[in-house]
Amino acid sequence: MSVWNYVVTAHKPTSVTHSCVGNFTGPNQLNLIVAKCTRIEIHLLTPQGLQPMIDVPIYGRIATLELFRPHNETQDFLFIATERYKFCVLQWDGEKSELLTRAMGDVSDRIGRPTDNGQIGIIDPDCRLIGLHLYDGLFKVIPFDNKGQLKEAFNIRLEELQVLDIKFLYGCVKPTIVVLYQDNKDARHVKTYEVALKDKDFVEGPWSQNNLDNGAGLLIPVPAPLGGVIIIGEETIVYCNANATFRAIPIKQSIIRAYGRVDPDGSRYLLGDNTGILHLLVLTHERERVTGLKIECLGETSIASSISYLDNGVVYVGSRFGDSQLVKLNLQADTNGSYVEVLERYVNLGPIVDFCVVDLDRQGQGQVVTCSGAFKDGSLRVVRNGIGINEQASVELQGIKGLWSLKSSFNDPYDMYLVVSFISETRFLAMNMEDELEETEIEGFDAQTQTLFCQNAISDLLIQVTANSVRLVSCTSRELVDQWNAPEGFSVNVASANASQVLLATGGGHLVYLEIRDSKLVEVKHIQLEHEISCVDLNPIGENRQYSSLAAVGMWTDISVRILSLPDLELIRKENLGGEIVPRSVLLCTLEGVSYLLCALGDGHLFSFLLNASTGELTDRKKVSLGTQPISLRTFSSKGTTHVFASSDRPTVIYSSNKKLLYSNVNLKEVNHMCPFNTAAIPDSLAIAKEGELSIGTIDDIQKLHIRTIPLNEQARRICHQEQSRTLAFCSFKHNQTSIEESETHFVRLLDHQTFEFLSIYQLDQYEHGCSIISCSFSDDNNVYYCVGTAYVLPEENEPTKGRILVFAVEDGRLQLIVEKETKGAVYSLNAFNGKLLAAINQKIQLYKWMLREDGSHELQSECGHHGHILALYTQTRGDFIVVGDLMKSISLLVYKHEESAIEELARDYNANWMSAVEMLDDDIYIGAENNYNLFTVRKNSDAATDEERGRLEVVGEYHLGEFVNRLRHGSLVMRLPDSEMGQIPTVIFGTINGVIGIIASLPHDQYVFFEKLQSTLVKFIKGVGNLSHEQWRSFHNDKKTSEARNFLDGDLIESFLDLSRSKMEEVSKGMGVPVEELSKRVEELTRLH
Amino acid sequence: MAAEGSTRGGGGGGRKTSSPGMPGESGAAKFLSSLPSRGNFSSTSVSSSLGRLRVYVCEHDTDPPEGQVIKTDTTNILIRHLQLKKKEMDAKEAKDAKDAGSRNQGETVKWKRVAPRSLDGQSSSKRPNLSSSSGLSAAEEATSGFSGQTLQSFTVERLRALLRQRGLMTKGKKDELIARLRESQD
Repeated sequence: MSVWNYVVTAHKPTSVTHSCVGNFTGPNQLNLIVAKCTRIEIHLLTPQGLQPMIDVPIYGRIATLELFRPHNETQDFLFIATERYKFCVLQWDGEKSELLTRAMGDVSDRIGRPTDNGQIGIIDPDCRLIGLHLYDGLFKVIPFDNKGQLKEAFNIRLEELQVLDIKFLYGCVKPTIVVLYQDNKDARHVKTYEVALKDKDFVEGPWSQNNLDNGAGLLIPVPAPLGGVIIIGEETIVYCNANATFRAIPIKQSIIRAYGRVDPDGSRYLLGDNTGILHLLVLTHERERVTGLKIECLGETSIASSISYLDNGVVYVGSRFGDSQLVKLNLQADTNGSYVEVLERYVNLGPIVDFCVVDLDRQGQGQVVTCSGAFKDGSLRVVRNGIGINEQASVELQGIKGLWSLKSSFNDPYDMYLVVSFISETRFLAMNMEDELEETEIEGFDAQTQTLFCQNAISDLLIQVTANSVRLVSCTSRELVDQWNAPEGFSVNVASANASQVLLATGGGHLVYLEIRDSKLVEVKHIQLEHEISCVDLNPIGENRQYSSLAAVGMWTDISVRILSLPDLELIRKENLGGEIVPRSVLLCTLEGVSYLLCALGDGHLFSFLLNASTGELTDRKKVSLGTQPISLRTFSSKGTTHVFASSDRPTVIYSSNKKLLYSNVNLKEVNHMCPFNTAAIPDSLAIAKEGELSIGTIDDIQKLHIRTIPLNEQARRICHQEQSRTLAFCSFKHNQTSIEESETHFVRLLDHQTFEFLSIYQLDQYEHGCSIISCSFSDDNNVYYCVGTAYVLPEENEPTKGRILVFAVEDGRLQLIVEKETKGAVYSLNAFNGKLLAAINQKIQLYKWMLREDGSHELQSECGHHGHILALYTQTRGDFIVVGDLMKSISLLVYKHEESAIEELARDYNANWMSAVEMLDDDIYIGAENNYNLFTVRKNSDAATDEERGRLEVVGEYHLGEFVNRLRHGSLVMRLPDSEMGQIPTVIFGTINGVIGIIASLPHDQYVFFEKLQSTLVKFIKGVGNLSHEQWRSFHNDKKTSEARNFLDGDLIESFLDLSRSKMEEVSKGMGVPVEELSKRVEELTRLH
Repeated sequence: MAAEGSTRGGGGGGRKTSSPGMPGESGAAKFLSSLPSRGNFSSTSVSSSLGRLRVYVCEHDTDPPEGQVIKTDTTNILIRHLQLKKKEMDAKEAKDAKDAGSRNQGETVKWKRVAPRSLDGQSSSKRPNLSSSSGLSAAEEATSGFSGQTLQSFTVERLRALLRQRGLMTKGKKDELIARLRESQD
């Protein structure tokens, strides 16, 4: 790998931090706006459901998200503040569909201690000011003028230092905030302040309330006319207001962090607690006087981080710990007593605490298994690139040469027959009443020969093309209606047909065009081309689904593809493909309203052209490599959308997204033929002919990454894969909450790596936590073991002083404890190292030998160690080198000296970075992630002149990722195609708290220079939403310093080049001095890294 | 959330008016009636696939309108407070000079307004000097004496100002200044 790194998101953040509802995109449109850390999603509420609109990247981590309506406006504005103290106000321009910046700015202060409890951003309900609590003891005010414009911000001193929440009160003459705070005796109180905008100061507010619930943490302001505030505690909920009304209600102990207002008048609220229970809080009132509070449990959802009542009883529950949900509140409880019905789940991978890369097929394509979710929403997620076919049935059949499906009548929505062609016969399968496939006969068809094409035709006819003839058979009687025979001495080589047309090629370049008229085959045109024909297609792409006015023909000898007009077979366009490989399959298709000509070669390459359906013009030629064997193309539909299946040694689905062709590989080894087989029993299924096998399968949703969830109902923390035993093992824990106390039980669990079936479980001791797990083998022992490092976390200790290393063998699918070794601290990390075991235990790195005892059993024996860390949390090894990621002392490099049997420090990075993950990119370059959401690379200075320089790891790359990385691991999510340049680029995968899976690719220097130039050009054309600066966003930033990003490229920005409009692309191309096609090609190559 | 109060209910539809919970309904059911509805999610089959999210690429200009790049007033809060006070005081003095007759009336009003704040200021350790000093009007200082404690709580600056007012020496340590002031008061 290299120092020139390219960082790109493969899976966007999915953990939901904020959500709100309002009229954002139009005065009469109701929107749900969801913030997912660095992105916002805008949805539209419709009678049919939630309609996704746009996904907007934000150059910052969103700290607050609020909708507000300035005076004299007809739609809401969106206020966003980022964690790095930038803010912007956005307005939707419905005409241009653009996000306008109404205001933006920097709200940072030079001095000030950032708040511990998170940033607070609130907007006065009467739109007089925006209030921000960003630093302890300061309240920042951005006032509005009377035209709704923002004015210069100023700070007000806030006496309360430990603020838990601040809200604006409704219905106050002067803007009034209510502050929930904790005093220095840990008691909690609320207090109100009026904001005097003229004096730029607070005026003591109308009321306060002392000595609340010790767990009070959330304020809910109640709209006028009721007014006042609800204070949510852990044991009580309190309502109070300026008229000294005080109502309280005890609740079952829980921590409520999310609320959503149901009624505009504020009489009902939904509350979500830390165990995922959804409550309804009711404010009973007589006129404008609150008479009491009632709380009811509605049912269970994911653990909510935000709740937005949408409409008609439908609620959006955003979660950071599990899948976000769309739920419906039913008037009647179901059998479990729950009023909550989950309508939809939105997959969330966050928080990814750990993951491992499993390459089951050993094709270089990893699937990532993550430890996702927290508490009861904990799960394992299997993330895989490509589309999965879930096999429903299969039968052994040798030598399949072709597959077609037929309907029993032309207008039948479902397929009935499956035509399977062999070298010298054709067999017919049909769905019987029991939804089983059984062999049948279609009398009018020729079963004694190979079928070249089959198709349902108009007037309830079936077409069969064989080498000698074209037969027309009635659907009802199954008898031959008409027949066209190949001329004497010629046989049909290739053929294609649609509902009313047949095009076939006989030897010698003869092309024959037939039409079905009045249930008769009529030869309309016959021409002779100068070369042999290799493939034909006349799939209708125009308005008429039964008749095509264009045909595509692939040619031998001159290696071209031609577009011919129908019915006169006149040449419209000829496109030479170059090279010597014959086109084997052509296809005319329309995806997302765009027509394409696809042409696949015998060597696994595919050409795609944009096709003008009326003129037959071909533009935008592109070539991709899908495999190494001949490809055959077929369309199929899934959920009402058309896609293309390319059968070859690396089967691929070609689909369109944002009017762009995308290629996604399928989880099958080799497919010879495919045809859609949409039956009533298994809708949208595919019939697939593989080597020696015919199978029927359903296809996953068409999208790039596929995620399978294995719910655990407990939280997984560390995972690893063991190829030899075909298992996965992970450390997990379950939260037990009884009424009196909370406790955790920790386990080591074993899973089958293919079926994800639970095989075995090992429960750890009381207070013992699983901290690390690896699969390893030792010198002089052929067995493979799982090693688990633990810590005894005792309530009275600050730092664990005792732990264990447990060595397990997998025997008959069981975890068998072989050896255990006590340690003097928490075993934060384990590594297989030169046939030994390297453990990071508190401040120490310790090496253990695997010793055979006299009785034949083994033991771990300490060999040597290295002191001098604060806490050695992460270790990686390569050869004799060890890289340690320290709690707060950045990265250091150690070496193991065999002769002396000692570990010594070679070099270290002297910066004070608090590490969250490390990985060695290669022998000399190491990458680290730290807790201010930055990535950095350091290089070993082995050639330096002085000892001092050699002892320092030089920081060579810095980048602000904006995500908290928990794990970095070598691997790839995509298959490595040996013939492409990108196939040689090494990659590292990372997983983050917000559910991001990303790729760091080390580019060759020339590529890096090219894309760096492209990035700096793109910055001029792709602006940050809200005018936030890309350069500032990506600059390395921590408490001590901010420095420009270097030696890292923002792949997300670079790849958005492909989403630009053509005119912008041309501008970029002009700026770069590189043609658009070349740019697109190079960027598309990058997208194939993930 | 804050703005929803003004936006809700504007989108047509209005709340359904169904009868409140029937007798015998247990638990939450009676509170779940007549949930607000404006016609969304009304279709019998709420569909899960209404298209995809389009990734927003910001090709247009995003500069905010003129004057809407917001910055923070960088003046130190204390200094700003003093400046504001000074301005107020200057204005007051100018006014006082103009009509001395109506002075008493004006002052009593002012005294009333700031009284609770000065009390608060004394009980809090955060800003006693600021509050108590600002809580006293110039006239009060001029006409009546201060207790030793009050003087102790004043800043040297302020003591010097008082001395200057009385035409006394403004040099020396704080204790000396206080002693001088007390002497003059006695």
